[in-house]
Amino acid sequence: MPLKDRHFWVVILAGLALGILGVLLSVWGNPANSGICVSCFIENSAGALGLHNNVRMQYLRPELIGFILGALASALIGREFRSRGGSSPLLRLVGGIFLIIGCSVFIGCPIKLLLRLSAGDLTAVAGVIGLVCGVWLGAKGAVSGVELGSQRAEPSGSGLVMPFLFLLLLAFLIIRPDFINFSTDGSGTEAAPWQWALAAGGLLGVLAQRSQFCITGSIRDIFLVGRRSYLHWGLGAFVLSALALNVATGRLHPGLYGQPGAHLDHLWSFLGMALVGWISVLIGGCPFRQMIKAGEGNTDAGLVVVGMFIGGAVSQSWGIAATAAGVPLYGKAAVLTGLAFVLAVSLMLRRREG
Amino acid sequence: MKTDRFDKILWLLLGTVLVALTLLLWQGQHREGALARGNNRAMERELANQARVVLLQKLYGPVEELRQKGELQNALLKLDELSRQYPGEAHGYILQGEILQQMGVLDAALASYVAGIRLNGTYVDRNTPLSQRDALQRLVAAGERDIAPKAKANPNNRSLATALANLNYLKSRLAGGCE
Repeated sequence: MPLKDRHFWVVILAGLALGILGVLLSVWGNPANSGICVSCFIENSAGALGLHNNVRMQYLRPELIGFILGALASALIGREFRSRGGSSPLLRLVGGIFLIIGCSVFIGCPIKLLLRLSAGDLTAVAGVIGLVCGVWLGAKGAVSGVELGSQRAEPSGSGLVMPFLFLLLLAFLIIRPDFINFSTDGSGTEAAPWQWALAAGGLLGVLAQRSQFCITGSIRDIFLVGRRSYLHWGLGAFVLSALALNVATGRLHPGLYGQPGAHLDHLWSFLGMALVGWISVLIGGCPFRQMIKAGEGNTDAGLVVVGMFIGGAVSQSWGIAATAAGVPLYGKAAVLTGLAFVLAVSLMLRRREG
Repeated sequence: MKTDRFDKILWLLLGTVLVALTLLLWQGQHREGALARGNNRAMERELANQARVVLLQKLYGPVEELRQKGELQNALLKLDELSRQYPGEAHGYILQGEILQQMGVLDAALASYVAGIRLNGTYVDRNTPLSQRDALQRLVAAGERDIAPKAKANPNNRSLATALANLNYLKSRLAGGCE
């Protein structure tokens, strides 16, 4: 254990903060096991912006705004803010759409996957296996020459567009203009006080920017570089802190049945998360990491975030998102389409020797 | 960074546009009462919810009357008639679930409640006029006592498996989480 390395401790701190705040935000009012869930929050925020019509899922989640603005502040203070992009932007946008589709079929992003597991939700096991398999396939592809091309520096202003848009969302959250929708019942009304949620998001944005912590990145690094990367220590700190806090707050309910926001279609949980894992490796990070990168000036990640909002909208509008009743037909079709997309991209973009 | 005349023009125009935007929004807020419109929208939703409750009470009032008189079969017949008139209305399924539970037909009651809640999740919410949360919790507790052990003892019985799946769905919805 590299105890003398400062970056090691930043990674541990990021993992601990994610686990602790992930449970605490639920205690403070967010839906059960969804203290932090990038995909759920994006679906809620897409609804608030009028991009879908599920009136029970409409709320501008302050955590998302905090992630981006926290990452921006941290990158500016640490002189790490760089406007860059231009690496297969359209493919990344479509990748962002399928990222959220995979999450909505599983019901949650990789962070929520681990929060669900740490609260005793055994249906998440299929998702964990799927995510690991997806990341393994992505890592295998990366080693075999599948890549989206290199990024280049862009004019400094372009990297500020995404933080500016989220600043605008913050203004909408506070002013609450007429055109922004807020649910009056359903899970869209379950929310921690917005100031706390924003602060928690901001803190996580700063820590994630400093540490470069990422759920899928941690797993990918285990496959690619073994113990030389510190990220898996952060992953361990995240799971253990969330588990400890779930036990302490009486939220640990081990079991397969009757879990909040979960279904029993294990095959589709597996495939949904496999899709998320694979795409995440291809585009360089899980949904959470994409938000952080968008905050530090990466316009490619910014396009993934736009794609994720489109994905959140279509997941709800087209009947793709899974519910406790299971995965609808269109959800299954969308996951298979996503897998076809990622396979085709891997085939087309692979650089072959000779 | 060097600032030339064109930069100065751009900065000046940007400043002008931002001031104009601020004034426009500020004036619009006062003149048209944009904030008040926002409040009206919330009130409109509230009124629509209340109107829905009143309409449902009126539509399904005869069913309630028959139920209170103990004429459960007649209440089910009346519900059947209403469901042909208003197909896809969740309230009918919820009432049917209540009546079937009263009759002791747990598996059918579960199926009705599940059909209703899948159409409209309001019935699971806390503190809404249509909330059936307490009744659902009682039904789930009864299902845990009655259906779950039977389903475990008879794993090949498909109707028991369906009833158990419905029971698990209701448990999951009552547990909360994202929808």
